[in-house]
Amino acid sequence: MAMATSRISKYDEYGFERPEDFDYALYEDFMSQYLKVLALRSKKWSSIMASPKGLKKSSSLKADIRKGIPLEHREKVWLFVSGANEERKKYRGDIYSDLTIVEDRDLADTIRTDLPRTFPENIYFNKSEESEGPNFQKQLFRVLVAYGQHNRKVGYCQGMNYIAGLLLLVTKNEESTFWLLKMLVEKILPDYYSRTMDGLLTDIDVISELVRLRYPDVSAHMSNLSFPWPVITTKWFICLFCEVLPTETVLRIWDCLFNEGSKVLFRVALTIISLHRAEILACEQFVDLSECLKGIIKGPSTLYCHKFLEQIFKVPGKLSLKDLNKMRNNMSKTRHMRK
Amino acid sequence: MANRSGPQRPNGTAQAKICQFKLVLLGESAVGKSSLVLRFVKGQFHEFQESTIGAAFLTQTVCVDDTTVKFEIWDTAGQERYHSLAPMYYRGAQAAIVVYDVTNQDTFGRAKTWVKELQRQASPNIVIALAGNKADLANKRSVELEEAQAYAEENQLLFMETSAKTAKNVNEVFLAIAKKLPKNDQNVNPSVPVNITAWLTICVLRAGHF
Repeated sequence: MAMATSRISKYDEYGFERPEDFDYALYEDFMSQYLKVLALRSKKWSSIMASPKGLKKSSSLKADIRKGIPLEHREKVWLFVSGANEERKKYRGDIYSDLTIVEDRDLADTIRTDLPRTFPENIYFNKSEESEGPNFQKQLFRVLVAYGQHNRKVGYCQGMNYIAGLLLLVTKNEESTFWLLKMLVEKILPDYYSRTMDGLLTDIDVISELVRLRYPDVSAHMSNLSFPWPVITTKWFICLFCEVLPTETVLRIWDCLFNEGSKVLFRVALTIISLHRAEILACEQFVDLSECLKGIIKGPSTLYCHKFLEQIFKVPGKLSLKDLNKMRNNMSKTRHMRK
Repeated sequence: MANRSGPQRPNGTAQAKICQFKLVLLGESAVGKSSLVLRFVKGQFHEFQESTIGAAFLTQTVCVDDTTVKFEIWDTAGQERYHSLAPMYYRGAQAAIVVYDVTNQDTFGRAKTWVKELQRQASPNIVIALAGNKADLANKRSVELEEAQAYAEENQLLFMETSAKTAKNVNEVFLAIAKKLPKNDQNVNPSVPVNITAWLTICVLRAGHF
């Protein structure tokens, strides 16, 4: 796998340039463990994918997804578990190519502005027009225009560029990216990206309420420092942890997100807060807390993605979709009443 | 962590006091809000600055006479739909920089809308600066200097054309704000320890045009 050779490279296996303060020693240690995990998972998934019955949603598939889908199978498995394959059948013909023809010039202009601002540190995105090799900027443009024209209610929301961008890096296929983006925006996530961002505002309230209920000391501390939750959580929800956590960790989270839905995002958020409770409580100033949170997301707790993924299903305890949706309803009602 | 501001210095000389202010950057997407902050805080410029999702938070200090002014800078997302989150960031802000792109008339219109909103909904004494960014692209300008200047005067805003790329007027705009902010006791924060490394404290008194 490409991963093994990337260890000493300036770029990671997805083409992202490693930051200047990248901790190579920590990463080496992580990879020395993770390569073994990957080898085992690769074997297991080869047999799953070779099964003559094909993929079938089941508790054992769920367990295997939680342990990570190998990169080479992600596109296929995500398309299946997200329901994208089924969704696609509802449409006649090749709707994607038709949608890539620019009709909405304003939409196209808005997207064009964000193209060079999407993963400028990634070798697949920062290519100039003339250079050879894959140039995901053009593909990203087509995917975002197609989706914006397909779903006019949403159009284009900043943040979708990162999601579609990472989907392209994984699937290397713009049509698959389009369908996966559609599933995320319309089926898997609440109304995050529409013009009112209603679902986002609700989920921001829900996460602060969940923290208040589960980690009251953290919640009280953050309000003492007048730290508004949206400062950190907006990006967590909008980008689905992309551009926040290490790429491999993000993709492991997305494995579960496509299969289990948006409550996974809350599990991740609660786990980060729970694992770093003491550090958060030790911050005496707003500024310290902001720095502390920046450090946390770059640190070992989330880098060791295999362990982190185990933790997200243990650390926060029970979190049912039913309870979550109830809470979403209540929070949304309260917010609209406040208006 | 030891140095503290305030008059309690043993030798009795008046030490520089430290004032802390919350400053928010507002303006249309891609006008250069994050770039202005990056230039001001780290002295850097990226041709392609990633789009800001939600908001980013940074700090920087400037020295004005005998006062150290510490800015808590809130850099916000520019896209229209993120507007509903903006009040959270400008609430309680003592200063705002409303940014437009001198090459794009629409962004100037949007800047005016932000100014109006701040005048209506932000703290009544908020110091607002209007920054016409991308001044290095003046040959492509679509917003005339005089037009913006007149608007700023009418609305009692500080005004400068800036360039995050060349650093033109970047420190200056923050410094002008720092000078205009009231440095009374209310904003002096004696409990704030002077921790140079954590604050990235650099006195940007390079300006001197004032």
